[in-house]
Amino acid sequence: MSDQSQDKTHPNKSRRSFLSGGVAVAGGVAASALGARAAVAATPDPLITEIQEWNQVLGDGVDAAPYGVPSEFEADVVRRDVPWLTADPISSINFTPIHQLDGIITPNGLCFERHHGGVAQIDPADHRLMINGLVDNPLVFTMQDLMRFPRENHVYFLECAANSGMEWRGSQLNGCQFTHGMVHNVMYTGIPLKLLLQEAGLKPNAAWLLPEGADASGMTRSVPLDKALDDCLVAFKMNGEALRPEQGYPIRLVVPGWEGNMWIKWLRRIEVGDQPWHHREETSKYTDLLANGKARRFTWAMDVKSVITSPSPQMPITHGRGHTVLTGLAWSGHGRIKRVDVSLDGGRNWQTARLDGPSLSKSLHRFYHEFNWDGSEMYLQSRAIDELGNVQPTKNELRAARGENSIYHNNGIQTWQVRTDGETENVEIS
Amino acid sequence: MSKSLKLFGAVAGLLIVTGVPSFAQDVDAGKKVFRKCASCHAVGDNAKNKVGPQLNDVFGRTAGSLDGFKYSKSMKAAGADGLVWNDETVGKYLEKPKAYIKGTKMSFAGLKKDKDVENVIAYLKSFSGEATEEAEKPDNAAANEEKKPQTKVAAAPVADAPMADHGTYHLGRPALPEEIAAWDIDIRPDGQGLPAGSGTVARGGELFDEQCAVCHGSFGEGEGRWPVLAGGQGTLTDDRPVKTIGSYWPYLSTVFDYVKRAMPFGNAQSLSDDDVYALTAYLLYLNDIVTDEDFELSSDNFTEVRLPNEANFIDDNRQDEPQYAAGLEPCMSNCMPEPAKVTMHARVLDVTPEGEEDEGGAGAID
Ligand code: HEC
Ligand code: HEC
Repeated sequence: MSDQSQDKTHPNKSRRSFLSGGVAVAGGVAASALGARAAVAATPDPLITEIQEWNQVLGDGVDAAPYGVPSEFEADVVRRDVPWLTADPISSINFTPIHQLDGIITPNGLCFERHHGGVAQIDPADHRLMINGLVDNPLVFTMQDLMRFPRENHVYFLECAANSGMEWRGSQLNGCQFTHGMVHNVMYTGIPLKLLLQEAGLKPNAAWLLPEGADASGMTRSVPLDKALDDCLVAFKMNGEALRPEQGYPIRLVVPGWEGNMWIKWLRRIEVGDQPWHHREETSKYTDLLANGKARRFTWAMDVKSVITSPSPQMPITHGRGHTVLTGLAWSGHGRIKRVDVSLDGGRNWQTARLDGPSLSKSLHRFYHEFNWDGSEMYLQSRAIDELGNVQPTKNELRAARGENSIYHNNGIQTWQVRTDGETENVEIS
Repeated sequence: MSKSLKLFGAVAGLLIVTGVPSFAQDVDAGKKVFRKCASCHAVGDNAKNKVGPQLNDVFGRTAGSLDGFKYSKSMKAAGADGLVWNDETVGKYLEKPKAYIKGTKMSFAGLKKDKDVENVIAYLKSFSGEATEEAEKPDNAAANEEKKPQTKVAAAPVADAPMADHGTYHLGRPALPEEIAAWDIDIRPDGQGLPAGSGTVARGGELFDEQCAVCHGSFGEGEGRWPVLAGGQGTLTDDRPVKTIGSYWPYLSTVFDYVKRAMPFGNAQSLSDDDVYALTAYLLYLNDIVTDEDFELSSDNFTEVRLPNEANFIDDNRQDEPQYAAGLEPCMSNCMPEPAKVTMHARVLDVTPEGEEDEGGAGAID
């Protein structure tokens, strides 16, 4: 153990000194002490004793970036994909860097993407929304028409039903971005779907909806009418600005708490019917094959789930022993999160974590657990409980109930092994 | 673009390039060969990148150099090493893509016949060089002129239009029957939405070889990682089940609906209703659900065909699983007799964006 000084509160700083050549000599001493506990500075820190470029030279004025972008030191905070998961990048997926984010809101440019026919680029002036089927008046709306309906704002998580889908047979991908990153959480501004349906007038036998996308995959899903009348939105803003093209610009369906595939992007039509359609995305895909060969269909709700985002394989502990912050996300498609427990010893003993920030229904919740790491090996786990009392199950409980071929709806408890050097890995334990 | 202009382009191409084989290259024959490429590549007016890069002016292009297309690392490396597309290099690439550029992500087995290679090169050349660029301008202008008024219809509200009387807010306008017909193409298991029409297994086979086999394989077995469409019966309880139309899908209507709305990938909604009936019939044949090549599927007999796995779908009953039983109080201390032991490590340790591409399947994600 060295006594070399290190800045623990500003992880960026050590990276910056590592990056900027000349200063790195002194910084290098600190860097070699990775994993060491710091208390006393041996030599004065040149970052303090010497005048730095940014202390002296003027920076950019306003308007250098009319649409602002993150600091250049955050260039590694990006969505990432795993190319071999799919045949080509057009019908593919990438992952939100949840390990590098905090709070509950996902920045728009970091929300994971999943498209089935690439990103449609649609001029809002050319976009139409049609409502047809079992309605009194089949209608066509322009964007301008839609802007004249009353609006609401809600924060909701969107999780792909295949999030953690690679992990059914055992630990696979080494990073919570890849095991749990098919989730994002933004504030939507949109029109209650109920108002649009009422505008067209529902026939008495109306029971199901078929929302349809305008992209090259013509995405469709059957949605029961009760859900549509309850809390679905037709959204046009996320986090205050227009939807991003990859999130369905100009409008998408919001189906709170339910699997992301149903949140039709580039929404162009809603048909009202009296039966479900059993289309490809609710038969071939998004059905959960069980061990006995039967398959569950219409498994819409996303069950209670949580994950520790740091430490995690992409966020090892680099400061050595001492005070540390464990943090993570919890969510449930059934409502609010009531409690999150964390274990440092692989589920033998649990402590209740601290929930912080807004606690909203069907939204991500942020939890923290601050503690003194003694430098010994840990098996980190988190377990969420929602307001209906659903407890996040272990992976083995899920396997016992379903087998290993379900692909979708894996909400099992994740284990990260933190080794004595702080390196962290995705493992399964018994 | 007119045929004569294409020929002109081809001739120009022949003049520029030296070392052209002595026999004639045929642009029209090349156009037929290009059907094999068209699901992934576009050429001509407004050609956009699809699964593969657009191929206008590909002759003289440095390999892997088109802005806005995400090439494989190996294709970019080949370009950086000086690979430029010409008769010889395109020819070799098309013969055996994966052998010529190891690690290319063009999932295409290659053209077996030299003649096909030469003809498709001739066809592509008709979209390379200045002759074509100029020739395409008038076409472009015409297309734009046609498009403009179309997009304006009903977009701008007329200030003194009569107030609609439907609903609460009187917003939106009635959808016209032609508009509903154009967009409402969905099909249900009970046959609702099926258009009039018919097609045989034999006709479907021809269409499939032309338009689907490059990705899905001649027998629906799936090339590379493209989806498998046939086989897998009896595997649903295996370690690695193969879920196909024959082994898994509950309803035939889903095949018709999906092929009509989304396939071929990159050229959706280009098939006629008769084509979709024929392809659906052929997919039944590939899955041994019909065995007669003369079988004709039509709007009349469609709902009589049942898929073998229909009965094996059940509604969501996750809440009945033991782990969600009401009133469970989770254990807080001494929950396991022994300290935790690692039973499995992450299989894929370094999941970096530039990671090894052929790492081997962790399983489907969608
Ligand atoms: C299944 C989809 C697919 C099919 C079918 C296909 N290609 Fe490709 N092609 C691609 C992809 C993807 C690339 C990019 C390869 C890479 O980056 O390694 C590519 C690259 C190319 C290139 C190099 C272009 C450049 O910008 O460097 C040429 C030339 C080409 N293809 C020609 C053809 C021709 C001609 C055919 C038909 C005989 C064909 N391809 C069929 C997907 C396809
Ligand atoms: C360029 C490659 C390509 C071509 C050509 C192509 N497909 Fe596909 N096909 C795909 C991809 C990719 C998917 C999956 C799309 C997604 O992820 O949503 C798919 C999915 C399918 C499925 C659903 C598979 C499943 O298990 O859910 C069917 C059925 C299908 N295609 C039929 C066809 C038919 C019929 C044709 C010819 C008319 C065709 N395809 C041409 C690439 C292709």
